[in-house]
Amino acid sequence: MPRILGVDLPNDKATHISLRYLYGIGPKTSLELCEKARIDPLRKARELNDEEIARIAVLLDREYTVEGPLRRAIAQNIARLRDIGSYRGSRHRRGLPVRGQRTKTNARTRKGPRKTVAGKKGVKEMR
Amino acid sequence: MSRSAKKGPYYDERLLAKVEKAQKTGNREPIKTWSRDCTILPDFVQQTFMIHNGRIFIKLYVTEDMVGHKLGEFAPTRVFKGHSGGKKAAAK
Repeated sequence: MPRILGVDLPNDKATHISLRYLYGIGPKTSLELCEKARIDPLRKARELNDEEIARIAVLLDREYTVEGPLRRAIAQNIARLRDIGSYRGSRHRRGLPVRGQRTKTNARTRKGPRKTVAGKKGVKEMR
Repeated sequence: MSRSAKKGPYYDERLLAKVEKAQKTGNREPIKTWSRDCTILPDFVQQTFMIHNGRIFIKLYVTEDMVGHKLGEFAPTRVFKGHSGGKKAAAK
């Protein structure tokens, strides 16, 4: 199993699929990478030799922000919004949707699992 | 959809004039404004504003990090005090 940037172990899928196991590499960048490293995207990741893996690693290092540094950059952007006291920052702090979506219903991705409130209208009837 | 880059950021011309005047005269007095939709320009840094939130004016000292945001982002128009009958709300 090839190993790129320390921890990531893509498997025996096609190269362009397995590259997507890296945080920050999607369908587009993964194909782009294959092209730049002159690797057939449809070859299985297992068949990559050390030299080819090194080529990908160098490219990633030089031209892309992935994994740890990318996570850090995103966290910093959010921290900035919080620190300046903006509306978007306060939405992040409260774990509510940031981009003006409705919260009367839905918004479960941000709010997490439903928390039923006792005594609220409709709860008794449900039993 | 975001605003066309060709036009540049939207700002209130009268507000910018006020900021420039304040900076020329060295006036540190906060500038009262209703232009919540005005982009914070680099010229606004270190200026104090009083931004209307529909009811009162919220004081804001502009720092470098705020450039590019709108003035209104820093003056919340809604106050959420928790839901009625909630345990936390009753305790407070």
